[in-house]
Amino acid sequence: MLRVPLHKALSLPNLRQLSPALRGISSTPVQLEKIEVFVDDKPVLVEPGTTVLQAAAMVGVEIPRFCYHERLAVAGNCRMCLVEVEKSPKPVAACAMPVMKGWRIKTNSDMTKKAREGVMEFLLVNHPLDCPICDQGGECDLQDQSMAFGSDRSRFTDIQFDGKRAVEDKDVGPLIKTVMTRCIHCTRCIRFASEVAGVDDLGTTGRGSDMQIGTYVEKFFLSELSGNVIDLCPVGALTSKPYAFTARPWETRKTESVDVMDALGSNIVVATRTGEVLRILPRLNEDVNEEWLSDKSRFACDGLKRQRLVAPMLKNENGELTAVEWEDALIGVAKALLRAGGQSAAVAGGLADAEALIALKDLLNKLGSEALCTEHTFPQDGSGTDLRSSYLLNNKIAGVEDADLILLIGTNPRYEAPLLNARIRKTWIHKECDVALLGPKVDLSYDYEHLGDDTTTLKKLASGQHPFNKKLSSAKKPMIILGGQQFGRQDAAAILAAVQQLSQSLSSSNSDKEWKILNVLQQVASQVAALDIGYKPGVSAIREDPPKVLFLLGADEGTITRADLPKDCFVVYLGHHGDQGASMADAILPGATYTEKQGTYVSTEGRTQQTLAAVTPPGMARVDWKIIRALSEVLGESLPYDDLNGVRQRLTEVAPHLTRYGSAENANYFAQAVELSKTVKAQLASTPLDVKLKELQDFFMTDAISRASPTMAKCVQAVLKQKTSKY
Amino acid sequence: MAGNVVRPGSLADKFQRLKRIVDQSGGWKGFLLRAARIDEVKEGKLVGVDKFGNKYYENPMYFLGRNRWVEYSERYGYDYDGSQIPAEWYGWMHYKTDRLPSEDPTRPKYKWIKDHEENPSGTEKAYVPYSTTRPKIEAWKPPKA
Repeated sequence: MLRVPLHKALSLPNLRQLSPALRGISSTPVQLEKIEVFVDDKPVLVEPGTTVLQAAAMVGVEIPRFCYHERLAVAGNCRMCLVEVEKSPKPVAACAMPVMKGWRIKTNSDMTKKAREGVMEFLLVNHPLDCPICDQGGECDLQDQSMAFGSDRSRFTDIQFDGKRAVEDKDVGPLIKTVMTRCIHCTRCIRFASEVAGVDDLGTTGRGSDMQIGTYVEKFFLSELSGNVIDLCPVGALTSKPYAFTARPWETRKTESVDVMDALGSNIVVATRTGEVLRILPRLNEDVNEEWLSDKSRFACDGLKRQRLVAPMLKNENGELTAVEWEDALIGVAKALLRAGGQSAAVAGGLADAEALIALKDLLNKLGSEALCTEHTFPQDGSGTDLRSSYLLNNKIAGVEDADLILLIGTNPRYEAPLLNARIRKTWIHKECDVALLGPKVDLSYDYEHLGDDTTTLKKLASGQHPFNKKLSSAKKPMIILGGQQFGRQDAAAILAAVQQLSQSLSSSNSDKEWKILNVLQQVASQVAALDIGYKPGVSAIREDPPKVLFLLGADEGTITRADLPKDCFVVYLGHHGDQGASMADAILPGATYTEKQGTYVSTEGRTQQTLAAVTPPGMARVDWKIIRALSEVLGESLPYDDLNGVRQRLTEVAPHLTRYGSAENANYFAQAVELSKTVKAQLASTPLDVKLKELQDFFMTDAISRASPTMAKCVQAVLKQKTSKY
Repeated sequence: MAGNVVRPGSLADKFQRLKRIVDQSGGWKGFLLRAARIDEVKEGKLVGVDKFGNKYYENPMYFLGRNRWVEYSERYGYDYDGSQIPAEWYGWMHYKTDRLPSEDPTRPKYKWIKDHEENPSGTEKAYVPYSTTRPKIEAWKPPKA
């Protein structure tokens, strides 16, 4: 089964130049005449090439299906979508059959019903009757459709007791539980793995009733997107291993929220029961995550229950952190702040919400301090963070699909932002898009041109002397994605300046003035909001001028350690997990995770979204901005807001886009940023570009929540075990 | 004869009983203290004292159920309750037996028998059932300095 266009699979040169006739349908500009068909006597005008199933969907008729999925190639092997077409002797498979002019499709005729009942009967003959102990129960397509479209009586007797078909279960890793007897061979998982995830591990063996889905040899199905096959599976063959036998879908309360494990802001649904997060599922958002979710976002939710800070803590006379009452903790912190006068500073970590960021900034500013920093840095030379366009993914995630040439610089999107990588792969497969990578050679799940990892290449590209410049300037919609990790380098300013100059030179010669070229892929969820609010990127300011009181707002990456601070510095950790930050703190104020608060996050594309509280914070933990508000009261410097609306009012004052939920504000002033970047004096260093997340085992544990998650630890173990396997 | 006999229930009888009760309580002061402490003043025969100093009285003149009572030891003050009656007196107090503990030869006497303990509910020694299910949230334990 070839899931990739021929020229990609054979890595032939781009066929674009060879023949216009070979180009994909999507790029054909000719508008073909629409044809009329009738679905249940309702007329509908559709484009040629539309399938019967799509035409029916246009008039609101849903045809039952198992194997068909909008985002995957058509397989047409489950036969559930059989419908009658007038004057056709046999029913046709709606998902694979393109409509013809004047066709009259009957989705509710006797023939259609009989066909469905027959298909359903055959499926159920070899499907176990274990619905009561099946994890898919309640969200099972087979269950629902057998109720809706199956026969109302059974002809299955099994008087010889020779049993149904049985298939051995497969061990495909720590995330996916398999009960292969339940499989109906829709091949959705195979198609997802090879098309979207880009891992050709799954496939079929055998034919007829001996057909099996599996990995051919004993190996794990390991991918950063593997969890999505659980959602895709229409039956209970592939279910979630960590969630096994936990709850039924009707028992859980669903809260629509936003993920914070990477900077993309994937939309999620948090399923909770009895004050406990049970699982996280993706929520449809075409602009961000479509309907996929990365494994870290999906499975790290058990980290929300471990290593939590549940009570305020202060160091006692022995220097040990002991739990105290809120009152004592706030008074203790307030005393230290008053002693320090204006000499206080703050570091914001990657999971902080905008409400906490603004409250902390307002408080420290009131006390006379300006030293508020983020853990992840960004060059301050040139335009710095004054121009929003220099730190955003300006083309937006969905914009990737329009690009015809993508240059990745110093980034591995596969593990830094798996769903962005899935978009790039989608564009690479379905559109005429080429990808090039400047940075360490990594497996991106698609072919790319590797330009090396040398900074001199970047220099040459910026000055237009590299052979690749020709390709860049001939591209109609080029896109340059710069990895946020490179800003941690000494020569970050020079790298950014070089990329800005390259983008500007391309954009000035580009005919499409709306198309942006420069894109920055941030590493963490809080970074864009923090920079928008006015935090200083990087902790160098704190290193240079050590404060007397240091606030760590969920800062756990160890960018500031005890060694960087004077001995008498009082460290306050405000966050939800006991990690690096909490271990070096003198006082701990327990905060809430993203599932426990209504918080604003701005994704790397500049999209403002909010999380909703699915559960209450555990123990004495409270919502972060409320803690800061209470502290301000103790200090006698009350912040002027008492409720969430008040804080958001304040956010709107600072930057109006921070409360325009769901929309991504465009950024501009690229040319001005380039002008300012010319003042940058820093030179590119000779050290090659590097990325932290190179392989799958690096992907799973990157922040305080995923480091606390046992499932993520198991994933790392599984990847390492797979490495030693002979397959 | 008739002149000396006081008719039961008459006013004179009541006054005589009041005098006996006051005498038994050790004068008017003791009478008032007793009334304040146990809300009830009765006359009766002291049938025994246990090792904690609780005094047991009986007076068959009163109705069954009210004719045996205990006056708790001074050491309990106002904090007396039924569980302070030791096991050997429990049966007599609850009319399970009419034999006093001292008159009961069947009562086992071993030196390993523990002293009676009163019910610790409401004190620090109270039994608090603990959950055997794992907590939903595992808290972080700060490293030892």
